[in-house]
Amino acid sequence: MVAPDAIVSVQDVSKNFRSVVAVDRASFEIGSGEIFGLLGPNGAGKTTLIRLILDLIRPDAGTIEIQGQPLTEAGKNRIGYLPEERGLYSRQKVLAVLEYLGTLKGVSRERARGNARDWLRRLEIDDLRNRPVQELSKGNQQKVQFIATVVSDPEILILDEPFTGLDPINVDLLVRSIQELAAEGKTVVLSVHQMSLVESLCRRVFMINRGRQVLYGDLEDIQNRHSEPSFLVRSGADYRTCELIDRFSSRNAETTIYLKQGVEPARFLRWLLESGAEVESFQRARTPLDEIFIRVVRDSS
Amino acid sequence: MSKVWAIAKREFMVTVTRKGYLFTLFGLPLLMIGGLLAASLLSRETLRDSQANQEPAGVVDRARVLNFRLQAATSPTGSTNPLPLPGPRVQSRLVAYDDLDKALADLRKGDLSAVFLLEADYLQSGDIVVYAAEKGIFSQLTRTGRRHLSALLRASLTSGRLEEEAVARILTPGRFKEMQVSKQGRIQPEGNLLKRVGRFLGPFIMFFLLTISIFMSSGYLLQGIAEEKQNRVIEILLSSVTPTQLLMGKMMGLGAAGLLQVVFYVVLLVLPASLILTLMTLSPGQILLSLMYVVLGYLLFAGLMAGTGLLGNTSQESQQLSVIWTMTSMIPMFLVASLMQQPHSWLARSLSFFPLTAPVTMLLRLSTDEVPLVDVLVSTAVLILGIFLAVKGASRLFRTASLMYGKRPRLGEIFRWLKEA
Repeated sequence: MVAPDAIVSVQDVSKNFRSVVAVDRASFEIGSGEIFGLLGPNGAGKTTLIRLILDLIRPDAGTIEIQGQPLTEAGKNRIGYLPEERGLYSRQKVLAVLEYLGTLKGVSRERARGNARDWLRRLEIDDLRNRPVQELSKGNQQKVQFIATVVSDPEILILDEPFTGLDPINVDLLVRSIQELAAEGKTVVLSVHQMSLVESLCRRVFMINRGRQVLYGDLEDIQNRHSEPSFLVRSGADYRTCELIDRFSSRNAETTIYLKQGVEPARFLRWLLESGAEVESFQRARTPLDEIFIRVVRDSS
Repeated sequence: MSKVWAIAKREFMVTVTRKGYLFTLFGLPLLMIGGLLAASLLSRETLRDSQANQEPAGVVDRARVLNFRLQAATSPTGSTNPLPLPGPRVQSRLVAYDDLDKALADLRKGDLSAVFLLEADYLQSGDIVVYAAEKGIFSQLTRTGRRHLSALLRASLTSGRLEEEAVARILTPGRFKEMQVSKQGRIQPEGNLLKRVGRFLGPFIMFFLLTISIFMSSGYLLQGIAEEKQNRVIEILLSSVTPTQLLMGKMMGLGAAGLLQVVFYVVLLVLPASLILTLMTLSPGQILLSLMYVVLGYLLFAGLMAGTGLLGNTSQESQQLSVIWTMTSMIPMFLVASLMQQPHSWLARSLSFFPLTAPVTMLLRLSTDEVPLVDVLVSTAVLILGIFLAVKGASRLFRTASLMYGKRPRLGEIFRWLKEA
């Protein structure tokens, strides 16, 4: 399952910490310009994978390539990283911290300052630029941390749990920023626990449990593969009278219909229309990602 | 390189604006000089006070050996006194009593500082009983009285029986005049007290400040790295720069801050002291070598402290761990008296050849005397090897320990990390 023009390529990578297998023969590729989801329960090995990609730690086996070659110093400059364990110089002023972290990515001081100011405005905290980091609220510190990731205008963004600690308004602000960055052609690697956000942001995902790959590929394919043939219907029909239905469950006005083995969906739709009841909506039900997540984790553990 | 430079610049700026740094820069020398002055003034004052306010001592002479008229001759206050008492000038007088009970009553009243009782068989036994008021164990109140009584006894027992000159020599066996013989064979009288003290203290203060500079700068490195680990910035830093770049930048920045401190001390203290007060007897070679040992010592401890900073979970924890290094390196400080008296002993030399103790020992030896070239070469070589290992070890720990949070690593684990990365 090769992504078109892969920018990050992980091949058969393993990493052990003493007797603990943190990552076991992981292989995946991240395509240029996509938002790629890195999923897995706590302690599954996501952060280890990210640290391996960033060359913070070295793999015991396997190869990792960024744009077709091992990570060089110049390569590091092209990656922005938001670690799960947040950290900034708490006594220093916001703008000074952002400037410094920008220059460490090889960007000039002036450019780092300009980018930082742009992003501070974009995330609506420009008025806090001269305040010491520790005086900011947790949510605003989080935004500063995000800006530190993008201040050098990197081609690849690795965001480990970027939404924790944010209220819905700020989550939305950040989601839009990530989408804008992707639209500009940046590659985003996203590790999040909120499956609804994965569904709305990512096209492809890699899921790891206990160091092993459990899911990898196109999100829609994965969901289809893990979904039983069922439909979400809003209508006034009396489903009890339908012989095509195996079982159904209703929640509010919406009913999930499971058809009997071998029944064509079109036949059921015809029945529905012929029943004379008003049909508000009819759609194929897709198992929500968090349900797949739980099922896959349980099966693989 | 520009990244190393950026790190160095930041570390320098952050450090030199620290309150602790500014205090060490300005406060410490002032405190040391002020403390020395205050201590010498205070001790002189208290000495004078205790002696001036001394009450006379009573003497009950049942042996009838004392000639109290000779007291004037033994008293240092008498201007025509041919027989000055040894020791500090004192004004204590001795008052003769016939009755012990009356003398003790006056002692209780506080009119006397002590009462001495010479029994009739004093000449045979030599026993003298001293009565003193309860003053606690540190009381030295009877000391001046005793010295006085001894002098008076010597005078009374010899006067008239020996020639006057012999009596004088018994009371004051000699007056010492000290002459200094330099290595070049120049002979000159010892200078005044200030010069004499300065000749010892000047180099010692410089040694002390240089040692402090080494440990302050490497201490900041420890603190900085431990803080970066504690507040997790280190992960971002390492995603941008290599461990070696980070370590080099930090060592340069903090080294520059330390160097600024040293230059400040040299310009503001050592130069004026040597020019105006001629306190500094160190040769330019000694000073240059001292500076070299400051740099080498700094690099060694910077490497060690950087590694140690990565091991703890909090900066406090790392600081506790770093005590191993500081305590070991301070061993020469505990042996300072022996090392200064015998700067070329086997002890001094072996401490110079062990990397952890080499910087402080060599600074101490250089502040005392010229050091043989062999010792300089061997200790430098040993230090360079130590620096190499410390820096290498520290950059290895960046790959492993810097991302380990949670419990403090055990010794075995640290060795594994050092081997592994």
